[in-house]
Amino acid sequence: MVHAVLTADLESVFGDPFDHANPVGHDAVLAADERSEPLVAGEQALDAWQANAEFVPAELGGRLTTVDALVRRLRPVFRRDAALGLGYGVTSLMAALNVWSGGTDAQRKQLADTLLDGQRVCVAYHELAHGNDVTANEMRAVRRGMSLVLDGRKEVINNAGRADHAVVFARTDERAGGRSHSLLLVDLSELPADRWRRLPRYRTMGLRGCHLGGLEFHGCPAPESALVGDVGAGADIALRSFQVSRCVTAGLGVGVLDAALFTVLRFARGRRLYGRTVAQIPHARSTLAGAFTDLLIADSLSTVAARSIHLLPANGAVYAAATKYLVPLLLEQAMDELAVILGARFYLREGDQAIFGKHFRDLPALSIGHAGGVSCQLTMLPQLPQLARSLDRAAQAPTALFDDSAELPKLALDALRLRSGPTDPVLAGLPDLLTALRRADRTEDTAALAAELLAELAELRYDIAATTPHDLGVLAPPAALALTERYATLLAAAACLGTWRHRRRSGDTAWIRLALHRLLARSRPGVLVQPAELDEALFTELTERAAHGQDFCLDAGRVHRQLVD
Amino acid sequence: MPTLDSTTAIAGWLTSRVASYLDTAPDEVDPDQPLADYGLDSVYALSLCGEIEDELNLTVEPTLAWDYPTVNAMAGYLHGELAGRVASQ
Repeated sequence: MVHAVLTADLESVFGDPFDHANPVGHDAVLAADERSEPLVAGEQALDAWQANAEFVPAELGGRLTTVDALVRRLRPVFRRDAALGLGYGVTSLMAALNVWSGGTDAQRKQLADTLLDGQRVCVAYHELAHGNDVTANEMRAVRRGMSLVLDGRKEVINNAGRADHAVVFARTDERAGGRSHSLLLVDLSELPADRWRRLPRYRTMGLRGCHLGGLEFHGCPAPESALVGDVGAGADIALRSFQVSRCVTAGLGVGVLDAALFTVLRFARGRRLYGRTVAQIPHARSTLAGAFTDLLIADSLSTVAARSIHLLPANGAVYAAATKYLVPLLLEQAMDELAVILGARFYLREGDQAIFGKHFRDLPALSIGHAGGVSCQLTMLPQLPQLARSLDRAAQAPTALFDDSAELPKLALDALRLRSGPTDPVLAGLPDLLTALRRADRTEDTAALAAELLAELAELRYDIAATTPHDLGVLAPPAALALTERYATLLAAAACLGTWRHRRRSGDTAWIRLALHRLLARSRPGVLVQPAELDEALFTELTERAAHGQDFCLDAGRVHRQLVD
Repeated sequence: MPTLDSTTAIAGWLTSRVASYLDTAPDEVDPDQPLADYGLDSVYALSLCGEIEDELNLTVEPTLAWDYPTVNAMAGYLHGELAGRVASQ
């Protein structure tokens, strides 16, 4: 069975979210959320669309070619209902990546067939006692004859209650260190039924439609052929898969803000207060423009990170972590600001704005579900010294990293490295990109922005150089951890500038200037005043896009939603 | 800096780096003791990999520290990689 042909884009499949009769519209999404159930009509629509084919490489019969395209095709699901997106199958992708990179041909074929048949695979890393400290995980797989005997439990695992296949991360060596764990692809239906069980569902604040459960094994034999890769290769394989899944979850989260922003804009235009609409109040316009800009920043960074998996695989380890750290933060902070515009409506779980509350609850759960922010910071931190040392001699990133019309080389998970290096091509490009912006925009404001960003880059390098290896681990002092925030912020600035320069867009500089202002204000609050005309320009573009049925992402693609007059 | 063209020279350089991480003298570091025993975890391994790459101009993964847990084991591996590079030139 070949699923290489994409029938229709998901936006058309899902239709108008505000249509009360739409079985996958806001009303239905909210009703499912209230019942803590998956959106059944949404799952059926995704089945019909053969969404699982998105997770299977093209050479195995699926539609997965590039990480960037995967994110863009699945984003409509997250624009509609993040719980549907995660619950349906993004965790199947997280499981499958390990098999695509570490599995045998037979395992790859078996898993491809399973997914293309519409079945789910759960990914069992997490143990509540150990959080993101995965190499401390206790669940064991002990070799006995031709079997691996499983003992222990995996908790808060999406779809553990209903998937028949699982990729399980288990300890195979009692010694500490990176060779202590292995991955297994297990067909749960073939395990002896009295040696394992599915744990009850966990109730959650967000993503309430997801089936978060667990698996428990007691002396449960699994065949030796379940091993994915060598014994002890678990962390090695998983740390490469994480780079892809971090880019994917960050990029999909952008869809949630896109939908929430539309909901708030629609409200602000209709709501009258003090004799005018909320959208006519400067604070509200500025907030909406800021959220739109943050969305463009998040999309730029997550798109660049996704494309770096193909073009700069030696840097995926740090770009993916920086993206998974900063993008959720940008999205959640934008949601916080937007909530203010809704006023008391923000608290209502009914009415036209109730969907905002659902997005608001789902986003942090989506963000933390894969790797929490601090975990990503700790991944970045020890990689920064070498990158900072090499900035002057680093080759710059290829323009294809930013230009979405450029073809990407095939996804090659084995080209990814566990540690980024030896140079940092994206950050190294920041000074030249700022020069290009100054040529295109000769305002004093842009000159000041460029000067401040270059000063921040110089200071960051100085501060990174002053760290010692003692500062870079789990016990890192807060100031050392703050280096990763500053690094991710400048990386995002470079990603935005590269996008502005190399991706086909109008020649206007308002969005890039406002993006740089907002990023700079994260590291150096108050040093520059944001010109009000930038807010106005972004607010105008936002409302024009909304009026013309375009989304708020870099693509400005077609969406089925309309403003009411 | 002497040229790092022998296992002994590489081990000496690695020992000096490890000693600096531990704030101790190089002769306090036993080159046959796993680095993990000194409390040097994966984070130190990442720092060490960065220094090895810059110093030896070799691409190394953190798996180096997993598979070659002592200074001497690491030095033997790195010398082999360097010799392989010279041979292929």
